[in-house]
Amino acid sequence: MQRSSPILAITAIAVFIFLLGPLVIVAAASISNTEFLAFPPQGFSFRWFVNVFEVSAFRDTFLISLQIALLGTFLSLLIGIPAAYALSRFGFTLPKVLSNFFVLPILVPQIVFGFSLLSAISVDFDLPVFPTLLIGHTIIVLPYSIRVVGASLATFDFSAEEAAISLGCPPIKAFYTVVLPNIRGGILAAFILAFITSLNNVPVSLFLTGPGISTLPIQMLTYVENFFDPTVAALSVLLMALTVLVMAVVEKTLGLGYFVR
Amino acid sequence: MTKSLNLTGISAHYGRTQVLKDLDLDVKAGELVSLLGASGCGKTTTLRLIAGFLHATAGKVALDGRDISSVAAHRRDIGLVFQNYALFPHMSVADNVGFGLKQRGIAPQERRARVGEMLDKVDLAEFADRLPAALSGGQKQRVALARALVIKPSLLLFDEPLSNLDAKLRVDMRVEIRELQRAHNITAIYVTHDQEEAFSISDRVAIMDAGQISQYDTPEMLYRKPANAFVANFVGFETMIGLRVTGRSGGVAMAEGQGARFALDEATWGPLPDAFTLGARADGLRVMAAGGDDGLPATLSVRTYLGRSYHYRAETPVGSVVANGSIDRPFNEGDRANLVLVPEQCCILPETA
Amino acid sequence: MNRVLPWLLVTPAILAILVLLVLPLLDTISVTFIQEEGVFAGYQDFFDRRFNRGVLWRTVRIALIVTVIAIAIGFPTAYFIARAPRSWRSILIVASVFPLLTSTVVRSFAWIVILGRNGIINETLMGLGLIGEPLSMLYTEGAIIVGLAYLFSPLMILSLVGVLENIDKSVVEASISLGASPAKTFWRVILPLAMPGVIVGAVLVFTGSFTSYTTPVLLGGQRNTVLATLLFREAMTEFDWASASTIAVIMMVLTISVVLIMSRVARRLNPAAA
Repeated sequence: MQRSSPILAITAIAVFIFLLGPLVIVAAASISNTEFLAFPPQGFSFRWFVNVFEVSAFRDTFLISLQIALLGTFLSLLIGIPAAYALSRFGFTLPKVLSNFFVLPILVPQIVFGFSLLSAISVDFDLPVFPTLLIGHTIIVLPYSIRVVGASLATFDFSAEEAAISLGCPPIKAFYTVVLPNIRGGILAAFILAFITSLNNVPVSLFLTGPGISTLPIQMLTYVENFFDPTVAALSVLLMALTVLVMAVVEKTLGLGYFVR
Repeated sequence: MTKSLNLTGISAHYGRTQVLKDLDLDVKAGELVSLLGASGCGKTTTLRLIAGFLHATAGKVALDGRDISSVAAHRRDIGLVFQNYALFPHMSVADNVGFGLKQRGIAPQERRARVGEMLDKVDLAEFADRLPAALSGGQKQRVALARALVIKPSLLLFDEPLSNLDAKLRVDMRVEIRELQRAHNITAIYVTHDQEEAFSISDRVAIMDAGQISQYDTPEMLYRKPANAFVANFVGFETMIGLRVTGRSGGVAMAEGQGARFALDEATWGPLPDAFTLGARADGLRVMAAGGDDGLPATLSVRTYLGRSYHYRAETPVGSVVANGSIDRPFNEGDRANLVLVPEQCCILPETA
Repeated sequence: MNRVLPWLLVTPAILAILVLLVLPLLDTISVTFIQEEGVFAGYQDFFDRRFNRGVLWRTVRIALIVTVIAIAIGFPTAYFIARAPRSWRSILIVASVFPLLTSTVVRSFAWIVILGRNGIINETLMGLGLIGEPLSMLYTEGAIIVGLAYLFSPLMILSLVGVLENIDKSVVEASISLGASPAKTFWRVILPLAMPGVIVGAVLVFTGSFTSYTTPVLLGGQRNTVLATLLFREAMTEFDWASASTIAVIMMVLTISVVLIMSRVARRLNPAAA
C-alpha cells in the first residue's frame, strides 16, 4: 500500500551485488579444475580444497591462529568483564576518561601498534614470538570485551543483585548467580566478535610473526603474493563457512538484532 | 477557501489483510469530524490515506469535488498534527513553523511576519529560537499546531494529538484546537480513541469498527440514539436485554424476555417494534424493593457509595449488571430487589441481541 | 560503599593497556625525537623526501576518495534497509555484516580474481571482442580504491542504519505534508538528522583506509606505496627503525586528530542530541 522509490531499491540491490558478488566469485573459482584462478570455473574439482589440508603451512598457521584467538579472547574477557562491571556498577566513582582510555586499542592504528610491540617488547625484551602475538591480540580485542559486555550490563537492573545480597547471598556469589547468567548473551557476543577479529587480524601479526611461527592470514597473504592457483580461494570458502557457522550461532542464541548495535 | 471532503468507496489493504471496507465519509466545509474507535479499527489508516501517505486499493478521496487520490502527499496542501508532534529536532521553533511557508516559496520577510503572528496566537513568541527538545509536551503540541495552521491548509488532520499529554492539559488543548479551527474556518478530521474528547470537540463523529463506519452522527444523537449494539455499547449502554412485545393496551406495551418484564409507555419510548434489544446505562437501571409487578429481578452483591447515589452490582438473569439506587433508602448486600428503567438513560435497538 | 573495589576491578585492564600499549607507543615516539641530528631531524628528513611526500599524499587521497564512495553507496543502501519491512531488514543487515566478518585477505584476494590480467573483467571484455589486449587494472591506485571501498562500505552502512532507523517516520511525513518534495525532505530533514551517523561512518572508513595494509599490498603492487606499506618496508626490509618509527608516529597523530576533530564536529552539528 505504501509506495517506495524504485531508484532506491535498484541502488541498494546493486550495492548488495557489489558486497556479496566478489565472495560468490571466490567461491566459484575455488572449484575450478585449473592450475590458475578462473571464473567462470572451468571443470569441477575439489582438489584445491584437498590441497588446503596438504599444504602444511596452512595447517600449522591455522592451529597457531586458533590458539592465539582463543587464548587472547579468553584473557581479554578475564580482564574485560571486571572492568565492564565496575564501569556500569560504580561508574560514578570512577573518572569519566576511563571509558575513553579503554578504546585506545581501537583508536591507535593497528599496524602502528604491531610495529611498536615489535620494537619495544619483542626486540628490547627478547620475548618469543608466540607470547608477543598473544599480547598483541589480547590488547586489540580488549575494547570489544569491555564494550559489548558493558552494553549488556547497561540493561541489567543491579537492584536484583542487591536483592540477592539482602537475602543473605555473599557478594561474589551474587555476581555469579544473579549478574553473570543475565549477561551471558553479551559475553557470548563479545567472545565471538573478539575471536573473529583476532582470527582475521593482519596488521598486528604482520610484524610479530617470526621464523616458524606465523598466523593463517599472514600465511595466506604470503601465498597470494607468490602463487595464483585456487588454493587460497578454497581456503577462503572454508573460512567463510566458519563465519556462517558463527553467525548461525549468534542468530540462534541472541537474534540477528545483535549485529546492529 | 474552506473545502469539503468526500471519501467514496474506500478500501485499503496491508498485504492481504483488508483494513478499510468500502468506506464512505462526507465532511462539510468548515466542519470538525472525529474518527472514533479502538486501535485497529482503521481510523488512522483513513487519516493517512487522506494525507496521501497510504494509497487505497479502491475508491477515491475528493476535496471540494476534485479527486486528489493520485496527488502526491507533498502537493495535497493538508496540515497534519501528529500524536508525537513530529517536530524537526534540528530546527528552532520558528524554523519548524516556517518550514511549510518556505516550501511554498514565501519570501523571508513575510515568512517571519506570519510565523511571528502564529507563534503569538499559540503563546509561544518567546520560545521562537529554542529547539524542540527544550519545550514541554504541551508547548511542543502547540508548535505542531502552529506549524500545520500557518500554511492555511485546505484541510487539517489530527492524529490523536493529545494522547501524550496529561489529563488537565488535554482538556485545555482541545478547547484551544477547537477555537483555532473555528477561527481559521478550516475543515478538520480528528482521530482519537477517547470518546469524551471526540464528543466535546466535534460537529460530527464517525464511530469506526473493523474498517467500517458503524454510525456517523452528531455527538448528541450518538449518545442518545445509537443505531446498533456496537455503538450502544461504545457510548456506555452496558446492559442489553432482548425483549418481545407480548401485548399492547392504552398506549402501553408489555415487553418480556430473559426473565424481565417491563410496561413501556410508547408516548415516552416512541413506537416499539415487536422484537428489540433494550440497552441501559448504569443510571438507566434503578434499584427498587423486590415484589413489584414488572422489572428485572436481581440479587444485590457489592454496594458502592458515590455521594449522590449508590451503585450496586446486581446478579440478574441477563448477567451481572450495575444499577443505581437512591441515597435515602440503601439496600444491603445480599438483598433481593427489582430493577426498573429510567427512560432517558436507555435506548431501543431494533435488532434482537 | 567500598571505595577500593571499583578500582580493583578496573586495574588489570588499565595496567594491560598502559604497559602493553601505551608504553610501547611512547617508546616508538621517543625514538623519533632522539636523533643525533636534532630533535625534529627524523620528521624533517621524512618530509624532505619527495617520494615520502608523494606516499603521504597518495594515502590521504585514497582514504578521502574511499570515504566519499562509501558515503555515496552506503547512504541509499542504509536508507533502503532502514525502511525495509522488519523481516527483510535483518536479512539485509546480515548481508552487510557478513563481509565484515570475513578476512580482509579473502576480500582483497577476491578483487585479484576480478581485476587481474586473466580476471573476469578482462576475460569478459576480450570475449566480447571489445578489447584486444587485457587492460591492466590490477596494481593501480584505482584497484586499491575499489578494494578499500569494498572493504569499508559495510561499516558505513551499519553506522547509518542505526541513525536512520532512529529518525522518527512522522518527522519525514510532517515535512512532506508541509509541502516539501521527497528530495527536499531528504536534504532539509533526513540528511541533517543522519549527520552524526555519516560522521561516525566517515571516521571509521577514513581511518581504516588510511592505515590499511593488506589491500594496498595485494591490489597496489610495488609502485603504489602507501604509508602502511612504507612503514613495513622501512622496518622489515631496510631495517631503518628510526624512519619506521617516524612513519608510525605520523600515522598515529593523523588518525587520532581526525577522530578527535570529527567527534567535535559531530557534537556541534547535532544540537538536538543534547
